[in-house]
Amino acid sequence: MAILKLDHVVKRFGEFTAVNNLSFEVAEGGIFGFLGGNGAGKTTSLRMALDIIRPTSGAIEILGRKPGRENAAEIGFLPEERGLYRRMSVIDTIVYFGRLKGMDAAKARKEAERLIERFGLTEWTKSMVEKLSKGMSQKVQVAAAMVNSPRLLILDEPFSGLDPVNQKVLEDLVLEMAQAGSTVVFSTHIMQHAERLTNRIVLLSRGRKVFEGTQEEARATLPGRLTLTAQNDPSQLPGIASATRTGGADGWSNWAVSLKPGVSPGELLQACTSGGFALRGFESHRPSLHDVFIHLVGGQPETVNAEKAS
Amino acid sequence: MKNILLVAAREYKQIASTRGFWVMLLVLPVVIGISQVAGRFFQPERNSAYVLVDQSGQYEQAIDRRLMLNYQRIELSAFSAYVQRWGLASVKPDAVWAKGERWFSDAQIEQFVAEGGIEAGATLVNPHRPKEAPAYDIDPPPYLRAPLPAGITTTDGPDAIAAGLAGNLTGEIETPQGKRPLALAVFIPAEVSTTTPVRMWTNGAPNTTLVDNVRNEITRLQRAKALETSGLTPEAAAAITSITTPIDLSAPPQGSGREQVMIRSALPLALVYLLLVTVMTTGSMMLQGVIEERSNKLLESILAAIRPADLMYGKLIGLGAIGLTILGVWVGAAVGAALAVQGMVADIVKPSLSAIEPWMFGAMLFYFLAGYLIISMLYLAIGALSNSLQDAQSYLMPVIMLIMLPVIFMMVSVIQQPNGVFPAIMSWIPLYTPFAMLARLGAGVSVIEVLGTGAMLAAFVVVEMILLGRLFQASLLRTGQPPKLGSFIAMIMGKHTA
Repeated sequence: MAILKLDHVVKRFGEFTAVNNLSFEVAEGGIFGFLGGNGAGKTTSLRMALDIIRPTSGAIEILGRKPGRENAAEIGFLPEERGLYRRMSVIDTIVYFGRLKGMDAAKARKEAERLIERFGLTEWTKSMVEKLSKGMSQKVQVAAAMVNSPRLLILDEPFSGLDPVNQKVLEDLVLEMAQAGSTVVFSTHIMQHAERLTNRIVLLSRGRKVFEGTQEEARATLPGRLTLTAQNDPSQLPGIASATRTGGADGWSNWAVSLKPGVSPGELLQACTSGGFALRGFESHRPSLHDVFIHLVGGQPETVNAEKAS
Repeated sequence: MKNILLVAAREYKQIASTRGFWVMLLVLPVVIGISQVAGRFFQPERNSAYVLVDQSGQYEQAIDRRLMLNYQRIELSAFSAYVQRWGLASVKPDAVWAKGERWFSDAQIEQFVAEGGIEAGATLVNPHRPKEAPAYDIDPPPYLRAPLPAGITTTDGPDAIAAGLAGNLTGEIETPQGKRPLALAVFIPAEVSTTTPVRMWTNGAPNTTLVDNVRNEITRLQRAKALETSGLTPEAAAAITSITTPIDLSAPPQGSGREQVMIRSALPLALVYLLLVTVMTTGSMMLQGVIEERSNKLLESILAAIRPADLMYGKLIGLGAIGLTILGVWVGAAVGAALAVQGMVADIVKPSLSAIEPWMFGAMLFYFLAGYLIISMLYLAIGALSNSLQDAQSYLMPVIMLIMLPVIFMMVSVIQQPNGVFPAIMSWIPLYTPFAMLARLGAGVSVIEVLGTGAMLAAFVVVEMILLGRLFQASLLRTGQPPKLGSFIAMIMGKHTA
């Protein structure tokens, strides 16, 4: 069952189309990456899923229902632009958000205390938010998003502003939530996080979907890349798109090789062996999601989101 | 509804936990309390002194008596009000102070003095007063006759007297009741004429009543003397100079007539000022709260859980509760203090409360809350449109001017003529209806006017909630520069894409 489904969704702000005919599904369970550069339409899409803004056209289903506040009890949301009431204590903040999501006061407090301990904020429990460091404030925000043990946790750029230690804490927490049965959807433009956490991804560019699938399927969209150490120019071998000499010694040369689409490194190795092509080194490079992103998006900057400019 | 109340409770708690709120809340009661304590313990002497040198020997007694009668007139008026307030007329129904009058003829004053004056009246009444009634507090005479200081004699000339009293006129002089400021020194020569006039010296803050009393009494005796010189007997001369036009002045009893209008208007008028003060104060708090939410970027988290309308209603209710808290504490403190300390304030507050008919309390509450809602919504919308307090100021200034200036003019007008054209017109302009109707309620407003303006006001509140509610909701997640007019209108009309 899809826990989140967008069907030909379009969102326009005046003349600007922020989300253009976007369709994808997120299956229940696991961690889903919602990737794209700045201004790609990620935040707008998530806001529509949460009914904060309405789509111009298209349909959205979340938790099998239409978007609306009645879903709030089962959803946790950490927006990209975050803030807290400065003159509210840490525990009151988390309890308040829990109660807004329909939790009773006692349960919200108990869960808030658990999360405060989990995030190492115990000694700050009754402190005003204005006295916290930025990192600690972000932990409070994450705790407020998670306090209702949501069935669907939506995190919009959750790692921005966190130091490496706290990024690791948050990554662990996301994994923990997923293991506990929650579905986690997080948007990011930092591919390393997506690479470590996600099962499936959607990649957006300028409001359009440019890829949807698993990480391996994403990598398969890139031509294979290899480094060969050979005596002869490998350009003439079958399946090779290009070969560039990068150095060498003692009669052996190093070659940076790109394979034609659909050709696997194994097939090339087999062709070398059967054709008597002399090899001393053969190293296959696994493309990263960053490579996929650059390849699919083309390295062009996204247009500034009109919603933010209006 | 639960979310609305959660937001309302948070707003209330957040503001109520600030030091500024408590300072504001308590400042008025504390000031009232301090003024009462200060009034009781640090009240300056209420009377001043005069010196009289009468070398003719003809005026001294008459002037002293005139000042004594004047003092008794003031006390009789106050004592009559005291007797009415505590229902003590039955103690001596035929006494001049038992009639509930406020204007007394010279003959009545003479009768009052003949019966022992204020001391006798108070002594007579005090044993019969109710337990909760304080004893009548007799004010001392406003002017005390001071003897000449050492070094000055009654035979000295005016210049010597002036020189001798120069120090006292800039300070105080010894009287039988202690030192008092010397307000006036009078020198009456042996023969009053244009070349030897009566001389008076004041301390720079002359009391016109004192001067007038002295001058009038000398004039009266001068005329009597002139009449005697022209052949009249002293009795006839005295009779002529004592002639006063017989006036039968009818005034409504205390607490009725124009006074009743003022008494009935006291609480509604106070509510107008309290409405202005509380709504402007809490409106600023609301404004800051919305701007904080926008600048802190926390609205998106909240809007994922609750509807924008719930957020708006919650804020209105929370801030409304703050306003009512302030109102309750201030009104309670004022009424409590007035009832506890008695005196003139009690003379207004007590009858004001008892003169208000039950339906008027309902009308007052309605107009107060509607006024609060109308202006709070304006603040809320401005907060949602503004990225900073500086932004808000540019919107606020014209809005405050638009509200305050007509209300101030209307208040001046309504005090002079409660049912005049200007207040009546203002009553039908919804933005000003709460202020105008509250101000006029005590003067007597027709039921049709109350129902008509009330219905119009209720409709206006609904329309305002819808239109400004759209503006609020459309502005919440907006970033960048404040919207231009076209965008602003689109938001109000609900055509803004969000």
